[in-house]
Amino acid sequence: MELAEFRACLDRWLDEHTAELAPPAEDPTLADHMAHLSQVKRLTFDAGWMRYGWPESVGGLGGSPLLRAYLGEALTLRGLVEPGIYSMAEVLVPTMLDFAPPALAAEMVPRLLRGDETWCQGFSEPGTGSNLGSLACRAVRDGDSWRVTGQKVWTSLAQFAHRCVLLTRTGTPESAHRGITAMFVDMDSPGITVRPIRAMHGAEEFCEVFFDGVVVPADRTLGQEGQGWAVAMDLLPYERSTALWHRAAFLQRRLGDLIAQAGDDSLDPDDMGEAVELLYAFRARSRATQYRLDSGDKLGAETSVDKVLVAIAEQTVFDLALDGMAVGITGGDDPASETWRREYLYSRAASIYGGTAEIQRNIIARRLLDLGAEA
Amino acid sequence: MDATERDLFAGSVRAAMESPDVDGALVDLGWRDALADDVRAAVSVVFDVQGRANAASSALDDVLLDALGIDTRAAVVLPPLASWRATSTAGVTTRALSTRSDAVVLSARDDKYVAHIVPATNLVARPISGIDPTLGLLAVELSDESRPIPREMPDSSGQQVDWDAALAAGQRALAHELVGAARTMLDLAQEHALGREQFGRPIAQFQAVRHRLAETFVYVEAADALVGEAWDEGGAESARMAKAFAGRAARTAARHCQQVLAGIGFTTEHPFHRYLARVLVLDQLLGSGRALTRELGRDVLRRRALPPLVDL
Repeated sequence: MELAEFRACLDRWLDEHTAELAPPAEDPTLADHMAHLSQVKRLTFDAGWMRYGWPESVGGLGGSPLLRAYLGEALTLRGLVEPGIYSMAEVLVPTMLDFAPPALAAEMVPRLLRGDETWCQGFSEPGTGSNLGSLACRAVRDGDSWRVTGQKVWTSLAQFAHRCVLLTRTGTPESAHRGITAMFVDMDSPGITVRPIRAMHGAEEFCEVFFDGVVVPADRTLGQEGQGWAVAMDLLPYERSTALWHRAAFLQRRLGDLIAQAGDDSLDPDDMGEAVELLYAFRARSRATQYRLDSGDKLGAETSVDKVLVAIAEQTVFDLALDGMAVGITGGDDPASETWRREYLYSRAASIYGGTAEIQRNIIARRLLDLGAEA
Repeated sequence: MDATERDLFAGSVRAAMESPDVDGALVDLGWRDALADDVRAAVSVVFDVQGRANAASSALDDVLLDALGIDTRAAVVLPPLASWRATSTAGVTTRALSTRSDAVVLSARDDKYVAHIVPATNLVARPISGIDPTLGLLAVELSDESRPIPREMPDSSGQQVDWDAALAAGQRALAHELVGAARTMLDLAQEHALGREQFGRPIAQFQAVRHRLAETFVYVEAADALVGEAWDEGGAESARMAKAFAGRAARTAARHCQQVLAGIGFTTEHPFHRYLARVLVLDQLLGSGRALTRELGRDVLRRRALPPLVDL
């Protein structure tokens, strides 16, 4: 299906199914949001929309990745999904397609797309933030299995997750990025403990995950042993492409809300103009990225530009929200104020999660500006 | 133009920008035909290359004439520096006023614009030296009643034109030129950072330097994407946004690149100063980044709605 037809048919379908897709009304918890997300995924999968843009080998209906970009945009613009939790498939499924044994991908990916399952991404560790290559969560080969022992942190939605795409150290501690292996782990395996972390925006979206001798079958290895760095480098550009297009739709919706709701004279015209320009510049940049993905280009370091830009745009938009919704954010206890407050606080992390703004600039300097290695 | 034709065209334009007679060389390579055949490719290549080369030409006049629907090869009296509203009392022109026999003067009445074609010799103009004398801008005064063009020009003497469309065309062209200039500033700073050694290593190895250049790259790429969006959308609002953001991005580039270039970038022995001067003037033509951004913000707040977006 072509984008124009997809757009027209999807928009009509969304108009007809607004009631079934509507988010929980009163003061929803994260668990409520997750349950609602599963419902939206189920409905859109069963109607076919969620299957477009993914290959038939994993339950998709084929077609351009632009269709996925539009589906997430349309759902986000209508306020039917939260982009952060919705876009996990955009981050993890391409990696499954590239590195999972085909039978595993065919079995598991439809469950994620249909909303039957939630997956998480076990990359960061307490001692491994920006320096991903130094990770220490240990996997030791034991016959036909790996035995995993160690800790992950900032693992989004781990308390809801059925599976985890996990990076482990299989080489020596000194092997750096050469000694890393990726695997696909069942989160109900014995020896896994999840401890949610309450973040400053009030949600327990991130977790610590502890692995104590967890047995992972060797046929759950993603790629080859020692190829984990390649898996991570393959995954990260996806984290900065379609998922960020969905983020732009979220920012567009909320900036529109702000313009409609803010008190007269509470917003400075210079700041408003700057926020609009940044959002549109980011959207223009991300749009080009979507078309590169569509044309089959391999995405790489240039997506760090998208990531830096979206963080600047998000923080600029919510700095403006702090002006326009100042009383609500600082003193309001109504649901709308709660939402503005939560989103304002969450925006502070936009330059931290998914690779800090500094790491993105390091990548740009090294890979796009050819400035050589750092001192 | 397909990609190969575009590359060939860009190569010819690069050579033309080195010529002692840039305008003549542009005509010879078919700039005006390209403008008629594929305005986006022609404008984006010529202005990007002109910006990168720190060259000056009368190409902006051709872009405006094309958008105004005027066939006469004339110089166009632009709004004064910092303004984007054409008036019949004062303005600036490019070097075209020195080489072309006619000039186009715009007058506004009831939000409608009328273009008057007058002999160039009728205008009293003085060169603007300013911060960038090599750009060749001229200041035109039209207010003196003793001069051949009175303040209030009868509508019958001109043709009604779409100034908003011409302004948008000019802003897109200038946005490309600002992006091109910013890219050269970044190239100069990068080259310097790799060659200049302190503490026994190239300064490119220091994160403070690397992050300034990375930041510049992000803004230049964003400005480039936004001018692409302006072409896709085609209207006045997106062109204004592209020009505003390109102006701001070029000034960001100038600030970071100058700091990286440090001492040598402060001298006239290094080409950086010419780019700094150029982007400061280009920023003021057809509305500065600062003023256009404020205007955008005011419009959004007044309408209580975001500008239209280009679909995926």
